[in-house]
Amino acid sequence: MNTHQPVNIVMIEDDEGHARLIEKNIRRAGISNDIRHFTDGTSALHYLYHSPDGPALNGPALILLDLNLPDMSGTDILIRIKADDSPLRRTPVIVLTTTDDKVEIQRCYDLGANVYITKPVDYESFATAIRQLGLFLSVIQVPVIEPDA
Amino acid sequence: MLVFVSIGFLALIWAAGAAGWTVVRTQDHARWVEHTYEVEQRISSLRVLVERLEVARRGYLLSHHPISKQTFVETIAQEPGLIADVRRLTADNPTQQARIGLVERLVARQFRLQSASMALADRDPAAAITAFDQDSSLGLTRSLRMLTDAMRADENRLLVLRIAAQRDTVRNLFAILTGFGALAIAVAVFSIMVLRRYTRSLVEARDAERTLAAELEDRVRARTYELSRANDEIQRFAYIVSHDLRSPLVNVMGFTGELEAAARPLAALIDRIEAEAPHLMDADAATAAREDLPESIGFIRTSTQKMDRLINAILRLSREGKRVMTPEPIDLPELIDGIVATLQHRLDELGATVTIERPMPGLVADRLAVEQMLSNLIENAVKYLQPGRPGRITLSARANRDRVTIDIADNGRGIDPRDHDRIFDLFRRSGQQDQPGEGIGLAHVRALAYRLGGLIDCRSALGEGATFSLALPAKPAASQG
Repeated sequence: MNTHQPVNIVMIEDDEGHARLIEKNIRRAGISNDIRHFTDGTSALHYLYHSPDGPALNGPALILLDLNLPDMSGTDILIRIKADDSPLRRTPVIVLTTTDDKVEIQRCYDLGANVYITKPVDYESFATAIRQLGLFLSVIQVPVIEPDA
Repeated sequence: MLVFVSIGFLALIWAAGAAGWTVVRTQDHARWVEHTYEVEQRISSLRVLVERLEVARRGYLLSHHPISKQTFVETIAQEPGLIADVRRLTADNPTQQARIGLVERLVARQFRLQSASMALADRDPAAAITAFDQDSSLGLTRSLRMLTDAMRADENRLLVLRIAAQRDTVRNLFAILTGFGALAIAVAVFSIMVLRRYTRSLVEARDAERTLAAELEDRVRARTYELSRANDEIQRFAYIVSHDLRSPLVNVMGFTGELEAAARPLAALIDRIEAEAPHLMDADAATAAREDLPESIGFIRTSTQKMDRLINAILRLSREGKRVMTPEPIDLPELIDGIVATLQHRLDELGATVTIERPMPGLVADRLAVEQMLSNLIENAVKYLQPGRPGRITLSARANRDRVTIDIADNGRGIDPRDHDRIFDLFRRSGQQDQPGEGIGLAHVRALAYRLGGLIDCRSALGEGATFSLALPAKPAASQG
């Protein structure tokens, strides 16, 4: 990832267990970036746009997004992030969810999702997928946020 | 009712006969009246003839003019003809016959007198005139006058009677015709009433039948609509549930994996303790690390894996239920041929045969759905054949109103009637569990059948084969597009 400024990983995931498993496996892939975890959409959006240390005001970020949230749909957050006037529109969003519905996947890519991953129920596959995602995260280039964009 | 109508028509026929007979009678009477006129006319002519003969003789006696003699001779020549006419015409009347006989005799006597008188006049005119005054010709002429008068009077009397009779028959005819007309109108009115009553009851019966059929059809439609709505509801429910069940399952399996990973260093530690410091060794801890933990983890793992398979099955089912149906005309025999072809290898192995009864009625429905249902049902028939009995599977289809019913009949091991409802439920199976399967096939068939607005039904007894009847709408209902 970018060397001059650390990239924060923002994980929006309502299931504590999933979050823990994802974090464990990302760490196992050798990713040591800071991971901020939010269990609901409202606090996640607040952090993304308004927090002084959030990505909109402070530095690049990468978002892991679950679609099934208690207070809003993950796609609503995706729409907010990828809107034309959003400062975070270039921020990579990785949708990581249990849904493998074809229509849902298409919709997420249409809305501007960068990667869509279905969480495998089988833990071996799950762990492998997350570890590979971690390896992927270690090589992708994240754009610098321009606050006045 | 019909008896009355028949009587009415018989009365009409009788009345027509009576009218005809009366017309004939009227004509008869008219002929008789005419006949009487003729007789009268002949009698009058005879009377005139008698007078003319007397006039001619007197004229000859007075004037000796040959014209008078000529007139006499000419007139006398007509006499026998006239008498014969009258006799012929009054042949039916004995009184008149007697009178005409008398007239003939009197006329003959008069002729003799007159011819003798005229012959005498040729020789001695004066003696002839004297003889004329004394002879009986005047009396004869008077007698003839009286006789012909009597005859005419008789004929007149007959004429009056006959005219009266004719009037009567005409009056009768009119009466009969009037009666006939009234009867005809009555019969017509009655017939129309009867016809209308019959027609009305027929129309009522037909309407009632139509209403009944429509009601039945509506009820079937409402029922299938309800079923398909309930089915949709279950599909949505199944989707949500299976989806939400997956999420915790990820945790269960994930942390089981973590637990397993964590148990490994523990077991290694126990091994090291046993090797390097046996006095620290605890039997319970060793059993826990070496046996209990792996065993528990193993059970959790197999259970969660099974749960994952079931959830995936529900998900597949509900996803199939959400698929958009595209109805198209289906050639059933061709479609079934295709399914049988894919199973041919197994059929050959088992020595089983599939018979398709052609022709089959046309069907407009979603091809994939129909193919999946039939393929599931045929596969089941092949799967559950009775060992030791050559498999016979028969497929037939029939159209019934706006439905097509496809029967899949086999001679396999059959299904206990107690299980006939259960077998269509998800994960439920019947009989000996000696074949692989999750209990999804028939649930899938039923879900698809409901979705197409159809029904699936099973008739079977244990050991005697089974017949599955799949009833589908021949054409999709308008609401389904």
